[in-house]
Amino acid sequence: MDHNLTLLRLSSALAAHAASRQTVVTENIAHADTPGYKARDLPGFAETLAAGPGFAARATRPGHLEFGAPAHGAEPVETAAFGAESPNGNSVSLEDQMVRSAEIRQSHDLALGVYRKTMDILRTSIGKAR
Amino acid sequence: MDELTRTMSAAASGMAAQSARLRLSSENIANVDTPGYHRKLVSFEETMRDDSRAVATGPLQLDRTPLDRIHDPNHPLAGVDGYYDGSNVNLMVEIADAREANRSYEANLRMFEQARQMAGSLIDLLRR
Repeated sequence: MDHNLTLLRLSSALAAHAASRQTVVTENIAHADTPGYKARDLPGFAETLAAGPGFAARATRPGHLEFGAPAHGAEPVETAAFGAESPNGNSVSLEDQMVRSAEIRQSHDLALGVYRKTMDILRTSIGKAR
Repeated sequence: MDELTRTMSAAASGMAAQSARLRLSSENIANVDTPGYHRKLVSFEETMRDDSRAVATGPLQLDRTPLDRIHDPNHPLAGVDGYYDGSNVNLMVEIADAREANRSYEANLRMFEQARQMAGSLIDLLRR
């Protein structure tokens, strides 16, 4: 039982990571022609998971300040330029970003697939027909 | 889900910026034969909108390169030497620019579509 819940948590974390990464890639593409913009990306899910939850102070009273990185939180970092930079200092390559978004799509589908399957197993174990 | 909404907002800002650029490019092409017309340009810059790093078009600028001097003594605007000022629009540059804007617009649209599908498959989890 506990094992299954870990799976659920893991797959929803992967889906959240894919969604955050999709935001970063979309921002890159929106800025494909902005002078001086540098392409960014999130670190991979494995690294994010290995780093553990971000350190964030817990606010337990109204007067407490909240600070620190969010729990799912990896900060986007600049990626190495794919090919040559444009003359205006922009390092976004549409091809590279498309490949990244295809990767993101795959990992999001994987996460949702695992989540759905786990739910099916849980349902079966409580004796409900699928 | 919130992330995906931000994604769509960033992609929409990209599409708006690219279509503004495409519009200026069409205006330039339409005015290629207008005497004294200066080519219009716009640059892109970063802004924050709905918590995402959106793109916005900067102020409109005019291309400062000198106008073409065209020799046509029969033209009503021609001076005593038979020359008049044409526009400084280069069709080749405009068409290349329009093509690039089109390509970037499609890339933004692709990202919007993908975010929409990802959100849709999340909601599909609730079914059954």
